[in-house]
Amino acid sequence: MIIIPSNKVMLLGWESVSESREKGFFDFEFITWMAWTWQTAVFFIFIALCLVAMVLWEKKVPGGTPRRGLLGLDTTRGDRLFISLLSSAFIHLAWLGIVGSILWIATIISIGFAVVVFRYF
Amino acid sequence: MNKTVNQKAWLFVIPVFILVAFNAAVPLMTVVNYSFQETFGNNVFTWEGTRWFKQILRSDRFHDALGRQFLFTGIILLIQIPLGIFIALTMPKKGIGVSVCLVLMSMPLLIPWNVVGAMWNIFALPEIGFLGHTLNDLGFDYNFTQQIGDAWFTTVLMDVWHWTSLVVLLSYAGLRSIQPAYYQAAEIDGASRWAVFRHIELPKMKKVLTIAILLRFMDSFMIYTEPFVLTGGGPGNATAFLSIDLVKMALGQFDLGPAAAMSLIYFFIVLLVCWVFYNLMMRNEEQK
Repeated sequence: MIIIPSNKVMLLGWESVSESREKGFFDFEFITWMAWTWQTAVFFIFIALCLVAMVLWEKKVPGGTPRRGLLGLDTTRGDRLFISLLSSAFIHLAWLGIVGSILWIATIISIGFAVVVFRYF
Repeated sequence: MNKTVNQKAWLFVIPVFILVAFNAAVPLMTVVNYSFQETFGNNVFTWEGTRWFKQILRSDRFHDALGRQFLFTGIILLIQIPLGIFIALTMPKKGIGVSVCLVLMSMPLLIPWNVVGAMWNIFALPEIGFLGHTLNDLGFDYNFTQQIGDAWFTTVLMDVWHWTSLVVLLSYAGLRSIQPAYYQAAEIDGASRWAVFRHIELPKMKKVLTIAILLRFMDSFMIYTEPFVLTGGGPGNATAFLSIDLVKMALGQFDLGPAAAMSLIYFFIVLLVCWVFYNLMMRNEEQK
């Protein structure tokens, strides 16, 4: 016999989540379900534009200009974009965790760091 | 030489593209959207800005879960990697013993996670379980459902039982690929057993060990099912690792916004570690 601890029993309010509307199979309200906001949409459009820009850049100067940068890593342009984006995520998170307000300063730091990454990494 | 340009190959990418869109990109975008909003269900959302991120980043609950997660991952890596190498070194190199050992080693890997959790739960129950009962008979005050140390001991032991074989199999594959000439040269030089391990076997295993550490790090960092079935994150929150805490927050409390923010932070940590390991592996590749 397995005794299930009480914390595993989760009573959820699922009834109220699904009850309201009757829907057809293809009528799944994609946009509402994904809870889009213009701010997050702008963010993802920015990411998409970054990728498009990388493709265009690759067309213009093929090969991705690989080099050994500051960290001793072999990076191409794509690696540098990835490093910039990931570090900007961490810069923003650190800013939110430590300072909390005036988030655009973190954005400026991230852009500055991205420039450094693209130049020297 | 002129290559013929044929763009038809892109058609073959479409199924993968659709699959990735629906099982990765769309859910990930939704999580990002959720992390900035508050909802009480019925697809009604209100904008909250960066509130959830601040809340999670400054909450003791998240810090504790993250600390527990790194501690757990650290402990199991420190046990499984040396133990796995040791077992691989002692495994027979030819004869029927090889197949027997390989089959025995693969067994734990084939068992579904929740079954492993249930097995160990019953195995470790203090009243009726073989492990729990034996330990109590031997005079230990063992009860994994109530004592934090015992809960950790059991969880770590379960993970070691379940996953050390993976390290063993990878290390064994690495060891088998070493040419006999290396050993012969070592013998001529009169190298000690330790010197052979340190200067021949370990360098040759470096690549597979990097993969083993990456896989074990990732699996243990994202561990959910086994501790959920074994301890349910308890006693209290003692074994509530990141994913268990996340599910408690998302489904138990229906705090979708904070849970989404937490999963994004979790995701970035995983991504960072993946990137570090990827670069380490590439460097290994290069040195070869």
